[in-house]
Amino acid sequence: MQRNLATATRMSTAILVVFGFISLTSCGEPAVELSPKQRQAQFVQNYAKNPIVKPRLAFVTNGIADFWVIAQRGAEQAAIDTGATVTVHMPAEGIADQKRILEDLLAQNINAIAVSAIDPANQLDVLDQVATRTLLVTHDSDAPASARLAYVGLDNYDAGRAAGKLVKAALPNGGEIAIFVGRMEQDNARRRRQGLMDEIFDRSRDENRVEDPNQSLTIGKFTVLNTLTDQFDRAKAKANVEDMISANPNLGCVVGLFTYNPVLALEALRSGGKIGQIKVVGFDEAPETLAGIRDGSVQGTVVQDPYNYGYRSMQLLNAVCLGKPDALPKGGFIDIPAVTVTKDNVDAFEADLKKKLAGNKAAANAGNQTGNQAGNQAGNLAK
Amino acid sequence: MKKSIGIAIILLAIVIATAILSPNFLSAYNLENLLRRTALFGILSIGVGFVILTAGIDLSIGGVVCLAGILTPYLLTQMGWTPTETIGAILLMSLAIGILQGSLVAYGRIQPFLVTLCGLLIFRGVARGITMDQTQGFQGKFAGIRWIGNGRIPLPGVDGFAIPAPVLSLVIIAVLAMVFLNRTVWGRWMKAVGRSPNAARYSGVPVARLQILAYTICSLLAGFGGLLFVCDVGSAQPSDFGNFYELYAIAAAVLGGYRLSGGEGSVVGVVIGAAVMQVLRNAIVLVPWLPDTAEFAVIGLVILIGVLSDELLRRFAASRARTQAKGV
Repeated sequence: MQRNLATATRMSTAILVVFGFISLTSCGEPAVELSPKQRQAQFVQNYAKNPIVKPRLAFVTNGIADFWVIAQRGAEQAAIDTGATVTVHMPAEGIADQKRILEDLLAQNINAIAVSAIDPANQLDVLDQVATRTLLVTHDSDAPASARLAYVGLDNYDAGRAAGKLVKAALPNGGEIAIFVGRMEQDNARRRRQGLMDEIFDRSRDENRVEDPNQSLTIGKFTVLNTLTDQFDRAKAKANVEDMISANPNLGCVVGLFTYNPVLALEALRSGGKIGQIKVVGFDEAPETLAGIRDGSVQGTVVQDPYNYGYRSMQLLNAVCLGKPDALPKGGFIDIPAVTVTKDNVDAFEADLKKKLAGNKAAANAGNQTGNQAGNQAGNLAK
Repeated sequence: MKKSIGIAIILLAIVIATAILSPNFLSAYNLENLLRRTALFGILSIGVGFVILTAGIDLSIGGVVCLAGILTPYLLTQMGWTPTETIGAILLMSLAIGILQGSLVAYGRIQPFLVTLCGLLIFRGVARGITMDQTQGFQGKFAGIRWIGNGRIPLPGVDGFAIPAPVLSLVIIAVLAMVFLNRTVWGRWMKAVGRSPNAARYSGVPVARLQILAYTICSLLAGFGGLLFVCDVGSAQPSDFGNFYELYAIAAAVLGGYRLSGGEGSVVGVVIGAAVMQVLRNAIVLVPWLPDTAEFAVIGLVILIGVLSDELLRRFAASRARTQAKGV
C-alpha cells in the first residue's frame, strides 16, 4: 500500500513536471500566430522598449563576387562605426545554399539579417520564416512581396535606363543589341533589362511591362536580340557572346548586366578581333571594365554602390535594434543611386573606390578574426 | 576507328542540321570557337577516358580544373612566379593529385566514386581558401602564356580562319594517348584491367600500378585543361570555375564509345563526343527558335540517343556474328 502510494506520488509529480514544461514552452509563443509583417512590427516595437546595444547583424549576399567584397567592406565599416557585430555570408551554390545560410543564422538567434534575394518570387517561404524570427531587410535585389522592413539598394529599372543612355550614345544611328546576364530570374536582372529596353525604345516608364527574354524585339532603329544567361559559368558567359556574334553579323553593341558579363564580352571581342567594331556597355566596376573605358573599348558602365549596400543596411538594422524606428525610411526604400562611369570620370571614380577599399582594411581584418573586437573598440556610437 | 563511326554520324547530322537552320554556323569565326571549345573539353575527356577504361570514375575533374584555373593567375599575379614556374607547379600538383587519388583507389581499396567525389569537394574548397573567394585574373598581362589557351595559329594562304592554339595541345595529347593505348603493352594491359581485373591480376598484369597511372593521366590532363581554360577565359572565380566539367567530360567519353563498365573506348571517339556536346550548345544559341532554356534537356536527350544507338548497333553486330558462326 505504502509502495503504491509512493509510486502514485512519483507518477503524478512526473506528469505535473511534463505538463508544466509544455505550458512553459507554449507561454513563450504568442497566443495568436502573427503574420510575418506583424512580427516585424512587433520586433521594432520590442526593440524600441528594450534596445539591444551591440546587436549581432548578418549581411547575406546572393553569391560570391568582388562586388560583394566591396559590400563587405561597407558592412565592416558600419560595424566599426556603430559597434554592432557584423558577419558577412556569401552563398557559393545559389538559392539552396542561401536558404541554408539563412536557416543557420536563425538557429544562432541573430538579431537582424540583410539579404539579397536570389529569386524573390519563389523564396517567400524562407523569407517569411526569417521575418517571423528576426528583423529583415533586403539589399541589392529586393523581395517586394516579403515582409522585409526596407530595401536598401538602387532602383534597378533606373540603372537600366542609365545603361540605355550609354547604348544610345554608342550607337547614334541605331543597330542590334545583345544582352547578357548570369540569371534572368533575379529581380535586378529583370528590372535592369526592362529599363534598358524602355530607354533604348524611348518608351515611358512602366514598371509592369515585361519583354520576353527569348524573343528579339525591333522598334524604330534599334533591335534588342534575345537575352542569354550563363548561370555564372565564365566559360559559358564568354561562349554566349561569341555565339551571338556568330549568329548576328550586324551586332552593334553588347550589354553585360552583371559584373563579369562586360569582362567576358571584352575577352570574346578581343579573341575575335571585334574590339571597337562592337561596342560594350556594362554594369559594375570590374577592373577590366574600367580599363576598357580608359582605352575606349567600353562605352561606359553603370555602377552600383555596393559599399553603401553594406554600410547603410547594417547602419539601418543597428538603429532599429537600438530602438530607433524612425531610422526606417518612408515607403520602405533607401535609394542608393547608380552612377554612370565613362571616360570623363573613370579616374576619379577609381580613386574613390581605392580609398574606400583601403580605408578600413586593417581594422576589418582584425574584425574578421575576433568577431569585430576592433569594431567595438573603434567607438560605440550606441546611445 | 570503326567504333567511332556511330558518333561521327551523329556529329555530322547535328552539324548539317545546324548549318541548314543557321546561316552563320559555318562562318570561320564560329568554327574557330567550336574548335577551341572542343579542344578544351576534349582534353578533359581524353583524361577521364583512361580512368573509365579501367572501370573507374573520376568526379574530381571539375575541382582540379578549378584549382589549376585559379592557381595559374594567382601564382603569376599575386606570387610573382614566372610562367615556366607556374606551369611546372600546376602540372606537378595535378600529377600529385592523380597519384594520391589513384593510390587510394588501388591500394586503399576505396571506391573510386567516393575518392574522387571527396577530391571534387576538397580541391574546390582549397581553391576558395587560398584565394579567399576572390576572382583571379591575368589583369591584362601575360599575353605570352595565355596564347596556349586563346592563341590562333594562322594558316598560310588562308585569310580569316586560324587554328585555335588549344587544338595543337589536343592533337598532341590525342596522338600520345592513341599510341599508348594501341601500340604499347601498357595500353593493352589497361584495357585488360577494365575487362576483368582478376583475370588481369592472375596473368601477371600490375593492376594497381595501371590504375594509379590512369588516375594520374586523368588529373594531369584535368590540371592542364584548367590551365588552358583560364588562359582562354582570362579570369576564374573559385566558387564556380569548372563546375560540372567532370560530367561534360564523362558524357563526352561515354558518347565516344567508352563503357562505364570498363575495357572499351577509343580516343578519336572521345574527341568527337566532346565536339558533339560543344556543337549542341552552340546550336542552341545559333538556331533562333531553339529556346536557350532547353540546353540541358537537348544535351541529355542526344547523349541518351547516342548511347542507345551504340548499344543497339553492338547487339546487332553480335547477333550477326553469331548467325555467321552457325552458318559455317
